[in-house]
Amino acid sequence: MSKYGPALFSVALSIGAIVGYFSFLRVPVIRNHPALYVAAFALAAAIAAVATVRAPRWPNLIALALSVTLLGLGGYFNFVMARIPLGPPILRVGQPAPDFTLPDAKGTPVALASFRGRTPVVVVFYRGYW
Amino acid sequence: MLTELGDEGVQILAISPDTNERSQGLAERLKARYRFLADRDLAVTQRYGLLHARGGDKGQDVPAPATIVLDRDGIVRWLTVADNYQVRPDPTDVARAVRAIK
Repeated sequence: MSKYGPALFSVALSIGAIVGYFSFLRVPVIRNHPALYVAAFALAAAIAAVATVRAPRWPNLIALALSVTLLGLGGYFNFVMARIPLGPPILRVGQPAPDFTLPDAKGTPVALASFRGRTPVVVVFYRGYW
Repeated sequence: MLTELGDEGVQILAISPDTNERSQGLAERLKARYRFLADRDLAVTQRYGLLHARGGDKGQDVPAPATIVLDRDGIVRWLTVADNYQVRPDPTDVARAVRAIK
């Protein structure tokens, strides 16, 4: 069994990266470094590749196929799909924020200017649709 | 962020294209100072330079996730705009930026 140790470790690393990422999604340092799971898949693929070169047997090949597939999917998702192309920045620290008036959940209009001189404001833009 | 900014004496305005009745109900149950605002046509999102064209799950336009801290004069004191939609600001960083205003 120990001769397939690297293959087992590779599979455990791949699965561990997925489980770990989703388990700690609420922990900012994990959530905000999604490239970590891609790095784990890459390491798993490297280990499985070395094991396969040394002994091209099915446990090593399965570990290699799994880690390479996850590396491809994870890399595509993180670096292509999840990327947000941003135009030139309009907001700058030290500059006034553009004013707006938008309806709240009850339809009441809320103007950003109405908080001026009263309270600091945190404006959060989020994607919605859930 | 719901709890981190609970007692900071700050108004949180959460903007999305949704109408947010459910989100507002949740915030009120949690006694959080969130006010959910609907930017149906994304005009404000666009004016803020935060439009992610065709970024939604059905190919619709959505805002790029962003958090902007304004002082009492409406001046931007801290901001973060995500260039990857898996990433959100750390609430402790936002709370620190708010506390720095006082």
